[in-house]
Amino acid sequence: MTDRLAEGALPLPRPHAPAGTAARALPRRLAPAAIAAGLAGAAWWLAGQPGGTRLALSLTFGALFGFVLQRSRFCFYCLGRDFLVAGDPRGLLGILAALAAGLAGYAVVLGAWMPDPAGTRLPPDAHIGPVGPVLVLAGAVFGAGMAVSGSCISAHLYRLGEGSPTAPFALVGTGLGFVLGFATWNPLYLASVSEMPVLWLPRHLGYAGSLAAALGLLAVLAWALLRHLPAPEPRPAVRPDPLRAVFTGRWPVWLGGLAVGAIGALAYLRVGPLGVTAEIGGRSRQAAGALGLLPERLEGLDSFRGCATAVRDAVLTPNGLFVGGLVLASFAAALAAGQFCPARPTGSQVLRGLLGGVLLGWGAMTGLGCSVGTLLSGITAGAVSGWVFGLAMFAGSGLTLWLGRRTGLLA
Amino acid sequence: MLRQSARLLALVAGTLLPLSEAVAQEPAAKTAGPAAAKTDPKESPLVSTEWLEKNLDAKKVRIVEVSVEPGVFERGHIPGAQNVVWHTDLVETVSRDIAGPEKFTALVRRLGIDRDTTVVLYGDNNNWFAAWGAWVFAQYGLVDNVKLLDGGRKKWEAEKRPLDTRSAEVAASGFTPAPASSALRARFGDVLAVAKKERDEQILDIRSPDEFSGKIIAPAGVQELAIRAGHIPGSVNVPWGKAVNADGTIKSPAELKALYAAAGIDGTKPIITSCRIGERSSHSWFVLSRILGYQARNYDGSWTEYGNAVGVPVVNLAGTVWGGK
Repeated sequence: MTDRLAEGALPLPRPHAPAGTAARALPRRLAPAAIAAGLAGAAWWLAGQPGGTRLALSLTFGALFGFVLQRSRFCFYCLGRDFLVAGDPRGLLGILAALAAGLAGYAVVLGAWMPDPAGTRLPPDAHIGPVGPVLVLAGAVFGAGMAVSGSCISAHLYRLGEGSPTAPFALVGTGLGFVLGFATWNPLYLASVSEMPVLWLPRHLGYAGSLAAALGLLAVLAWALLRHLPAPEPRPAVRPDPLRAVFTGRWPVWLGGLAVGAIGALAYLRVGPLGVTAEIGGRSRQAAGALGLLPERLEGLDSFRGCATAVRDAVLTPNGLFVGGLVLASFAAALAAGQFCPARPTGSQVLRGLLGGVLLGWGAMTGLGCSVGTLLSGITAGAVSGWVFGLAMFAGSGLTLWLGRRTGLLA
Repeated sequence: MLRQSARLLALVAGTLLPLSEAVAQEPAAKTAGPAAAKTDPKESPLVSTEWLEKNLDAKKVRIVEVSVEPGVFERGHIPGAQNVVWHTDLVETVSRDIAGPEKFTALVRRLGIDRDTTVVLYGDNNNWFAAWGAWVFAQYGLVDNVKLLDGGRKKWEAEKRPLDTRSAEVAASGFTPAPASSALRARFGDVLAVAKKERDEQILDIRSPDEFSGKIIAPAGVQELAIRAGHIPGSVNVPWGKAVNADGTIKSPAELKALYAAAGIDGTKPIITSCRIGERSSHSWFVLSRILGYQARNYDGSWTEYGNAVGVPVVNLAGTVWGGK
């Protein structure tokens, strides 16, 4: 698994040869340490401000998330592609591990917060959205955007920290896609979304039933994937150095997945569900509003759960700090591992980034979140919308990849 | 929509906060008498954070959080507190009204509250919605046994007192409500009579000065609007946040008396409190009625009812027409 394979879709940084001299090794260690210290210091300072606990925690969770994503290369598209193109299921198994860990963690939190899930209430701010054709369309378009741009939004963010030449354009495209999503929201809402049910599994199955059903489904998927495991690689003769294993070598994806699931549940307990698009969407909405590109009113939008894009009134927001922490921690992790490789973007990278980004943005706006906010935070909270978005997303990316490879446009 | 309204309400509260801080920096003329009365929960409508922490396990005390921001309660509340969601639990969700007798009774029974229970309400945003909760409770006869935690969540957190994420389990009560009282609630007709000078009462409008003057119809981003700008004739403007100190506690009775007296309100005439949707004005209702003991009613129709009514007198100092000039 295989940076080698992922590189087919998007040039990925390659670990540098070990630095020959101490003079080269020192900055490589100092810079990441300085960034980590800066992040810790910023969180410390924020925590001391009135009402700053939430901001400090958001920054911390964002940094942890970015570190884990970079170390395990947790990119929904590349992991799916590893299986579809090379037949290696370990990446998808890592995603299943994230969902299983998150489901268990959420069940513990939700059971404490809402002892009886049967009423008409939903747990506070959990990402449980309306389920209908528009969600399927949003997931499929988001998936297509993943295939075109080379990854999903969260992966573009961690790749920004690695110096990816595509990521900046994909993120700009995402902002544009959000504006497009706002422009098409009202007709979609009035024609369909307003009448679609918001389905929360624990309401119908109870916490134990819903957890058992979800884990059972994950087990079936895992069983199917495990049959495709590649032959084990020969074990290295020397015992790996633990520091190198953590900071330089790639983590197995299942380990990253478990960490992602744990961060998701802990972040929900203390701050809110994981999501990476609220800030991008909110700022796009603000900018588009200032330019007069928004409808007068976005019907019903702000009453839905998900990555809320309600206009920001503060410079520092929890989601802004989460995303900032993610990118900076990924940058530090990439520097430490020798995987920070900025490159001049080619025309194709610019085009694919922008085009794929627009699709990602439209899908994330219309689907009320992305692979993190709707898929991960939705499924782990027991939302049917998470499963539906996820299926549509993998279908959309798989189909686009297949078409792209047939036409020779995608590798 | 509700969620956004809640955020916007929080935003408004945030903008008012610096105002209250500025006022709080004025030399405080605290008198020993009322301050001492505050510490005896039997007498005072307020309880201190210190008293509450000592009485967390008291049998006849029920603690209820009413916060604006969703998820605040669940991520950590005062140990033993129960949650009330203001925009669904305390109102009718289809017609515009406070929770009807059946809905309110079911809620209060579930919370294990009866007439001999000391109820401590608290919340975020300087107890804004907690005060509104106290006003709704008062409609059904739960008045003197309902207290506000002075300083609310803000002070409890600032003092680093413990929080809990587990939910309290209490035995349901057999509460039966008193018939809804009109003595604490003003209706459109009451307000119109005052506006037309048919009745000698005072209206206290607690919105921001710009809303009061008619420069704006509602705070930015608020969806629930009125067709006309301005205020009810004869009303005076004291923004609600002025009744609060920087630490979130309510000012001393002496300071409060001076604050309202400066606007011509001294308790000699009945008072009607009003705002945009009737929630913020509950805070001033609580201050006037429960702390100062003035005869006060809250007008929950407020500007979204009055400013939309046809053919009523309006004072529009700013001359705003259809939201512009």
